[in-house]
Amino acid sequence: MYDPIAEGLTRGWRHIDASTLTTGQQFDTDVVIIGTGAGGGIAAELLTQAGFKVLMLEHGALYSSSDFRQQERWAYPQLYQDGAGRKTKDQAISILQGRTVGGSTTVNWTTSIRTPANTLQYWEQQFGLDFASSGALEPFLDLATGRLNISEWALTPNHNNGALQRGCQALGWQYTVIHRNVKGCANTGYCGMGCPLNAKQSMLVTTIPVALDGGATLISRVSARELVWRGNEIQELWAVPVDAQFQTDPRLKIRIRARHYVLAGGAINSPALLLRSKVPDPSGRLGKHTYLHPSVISGALFAEAVNGHQGAPQSIYSDQFVWPEAAKAGFKLEVPPLHPVLMASKLTGMAEAHADLMRQFNHLQVMIALLRDGFHPEAQGGAVQLDSDGEPQLDYPLTEYLWDGVRRAYLAMAELQFAAGAAAVLPVHDDAQMYRSWSQAKAAIAELPLQRYRATLASAHVMGGCNMSADPATGVVDSFGRHQQLKNLTVCDGSILPSSLGANPQLTIYALSWRICTELIKKLSV
Amino acid sequence: MQRRQFIMLGLGAGVGLSLGLTLYPVLQSSTQQRSDAATLVLDALLPALLQGALPAEAAAQQAALRRSRDAVLQFLPFLPRRQQAELQQLFLLLQQRLGQLALLGHWLSLNEMPLQSRLQLLSSWRDSYLATLQQAYHGLRELLYGAYYGQPQHWPALKYQPLEFNPYV
Repeated sequence: MYDPIAEGLTRGWRHIDASTLTTGQQFDTDVVIIGTGAGGGIAAELLTQAGFKVLMLEHGALYSSSDFRQQERWAYPQLYQDGAGRKTKDQAISILQGRTVGGSTTVNWTTSIRTPANTLQYWEQQFGLDFASSGALEPFLDLATGRLNISEWALTPNHNNGALQRGCQALGWQYTVIHRNVKGCANTGYCGMGCPLNAKQSMLVTTIPVALDGGATLISRVSARELVWRGNEIQELWAVPVDAQFQTDPRLKIRIRARHYVLAGGAINSPALLLRSKVPDPSGRLGKHTYLHPSVISGALFAEAVNGHQGAPQSIYSDQFVWPEAAKAGFKLEVPPLHPVLMASKLTGMAEAHADLMRQFNHLQVMIALLRDGFHPEAQGGAVQLDSDGEPQLDYPLTEYLWDGVRRAYLAMAELQFAAGAAAVLPVHDDAQMYRSWSQAKAAIAELPLQRYRATLASAHVMGGCNMSADPATGVVDSFGRHQQLKNLTVCDGSILPSSLGANPQLTIYALSWRICTELIKKLSV
Repeated sequence: MQRRQFIMLGLGAGVGLSLGLTLYPVLQSSTQQRSDAATLVLDALLPALLQGALPAEAAAQQAALRRSRDAVLQFLPFLPRRQQAELQQLFLLLQQRLGQLALLGHWLSLNEMPLQSRLQLLSSWRDSYLATLQQAYHGLRELLYGAYYGQPQHWPALKYQPLEFNPYV
C-alpha cells in the first residue's frame, strides 16, 4: 500500500530520530517550529515554500500508515499524549491529545467546522480582535478548506451518527452534516488510531511532506525544554531526546539557534514551555484561561445493531443548544467512535454490571455534549502548572455554571436518544442507571448529584493559555500570534484561542496559522 | 456496620491519608519491591473487577488475567513520571494493607479473600469523601478495564470485529 512517509524517507527527507543520538547537537536555522500539529504543520509548509530554512521538532514519533495498528493498545501509547491517559490535575476530566508527527490531526476524527460567527463576535467585544467585522479570517478558512480537501460527508452516516440525526429530525432540532478533511476515505472508522489509508488529510500526509520535500528538517522524539531569552529576544532553544515511552532523557542536549521561533506545541505544552522558560508575562494570562469543551457522555441501547466502530466517526452534529440565553452554558451534540478500550474505561459500573453492558457493545449508541466554556465569568477555564519534573498539569475548576450545563446536557441527550428509538438510556454517571423511558430518565437526571468523579467527563479539544488580544494587557500574543514581549517568537496553535470555540477546533487553527504565517513571512522577508 | 465493612472503610481511609501525606514508601522501596507490589495488587483486583467478563474455563481465565496484568505493567511507563510515582505509592500501600486486611479477616492470603470483599473495597473508594480515594478508584478502574478490553482474545464476547490493515505483532 502506498506510504508517502516511507517513500519520502527513501527520497532522502531529512529526518532525525533524537532518541538515536549519542552526542549533543547544535542546529542553526532560519525558523524552528516546535510541534507538528495543526499550527506547526501549516507553518512548516508555508515557511519552507517561502524559501526559509525550517527545522521542525516533535515530541512524538514519526509513524506512517504502514506503522498504524488498528488496535487501541498500540495507538494510545504510541500516538497520544500520556498514552491517552492525560487528565486534569484533580483527575476529573480525561484529555485526549495527539502526540506524534502531525499532532492531533493524525488521530482526530476529521470534523472540520468554520469558526462560529458568535465566537468571533465575542472575541471582538472582549479582546478587540476584529475578525467578525473585518472578515479577515474568511480567506484563510477558504484556503485551508481547499488545501485539506474539506467537504461535506456525502455518504450515509453510520448508525451511531444516524441516531443523532434521527433524534434531531423527530424532535425538530437543528442538525448539520459534517464537513471532513478526507480524500478517498473508505469509511472504515479508524481515524482515531491513525488513518491506515492516508485518506485523512492530516498534517502528516499533507503539509509536512511538502515541507520535507522542500528541504526542511524534522527531528522527532525530542522534547523542547527551554527558550533562552534576553531583553526582548530569544537567543536559543534547548531540547532533549525522549525514550521509548516518550519520557524526557536528559543524557544529552540539543541546542537550536534560529532567527525566529514558532511555538505550536498545543494548548497545554506550549504554555508549559513558556512557563519553564520564565518568559515575561505582564498580562498574567500565560497558561491561564485554558479551555476544554468539557464533554458529558450518554449511552443508549438500541434493539438493532449500531456497530459504532464502523464508518466515519463523526458525520452529524447538532447546535440546538450551543447558544442558549447568556446565563446558561451551551453545548454541542456529537457522537464519538466506539472502540472497546475507550468504551470500557468510560462506562460506569464494575464486575457483572459492567460486563453485561460490554456484551451489548454493538448495540450501544453513545452521544457526547461538548460544553462551550470561556464565555461566562464562571467558565474562565483552567491554569497550566508545572510539576516537579517541569511537566504540565492543568488545574481546571468545575463551577456551578458548568454543572448546570452538565445536567441539561444529560437531559437533552436522553431525550434525543429516546426520540431516535433507544430502548434504554444510561447517562454516564456513577449514580445513574439504565432508564427505560424518557419520563423515567428525566426524573432521575433531575436528581443526579453533580460533582467531580461521579459524572464521567472528557475532552478532546484543548484551547487557550497563550490567548490572542489586541490589547497587551489582556493577551499573551496579538492577532498575528506575535508574542507581546519577545519579538522573535510567534505562537500558532490552539493555545492562542481567547475562548473555546463551540465547535471542533482544527479548521480554525489551520486558518489562524495560515494568516499568522503569511504575516510572518512578510516580516522575515524584509 | 458489619465488622468486614468497617475494616474496608478503615483500609480505604488509611490508604487515602497516606497518599495525601507522603511519598515515603516509593522513596524507600526498590524497583523489585515496586514491581512486586504492582503485580500483587493487580492480581488481587483484576479477578474482582472482571467478574462476569472473564472466560469460565479456569486455564483461559488465568491466561486472560495474566494478559491483562502484563498489559497494565507495560502501559504504566507511558504515563507522566508524576502519575507513575502516585500509582507505585498506591500499589505499595495497598500491598501492605491488603496483607493486613487478609490477616484481620482471617484469610491466610489475598488469594483467599472473597471477590466480593475486593469489590466492596473498590466501592468504598468510589463513595469515599476523600478525593484521593475517588481518584484511585477511577484511575485503577480505567487502567484495568483498558488493559482487559485492549486484548483481541477478549473481543468475541463483544462481537467486536475490527478491520486489520497492519497486523499487531
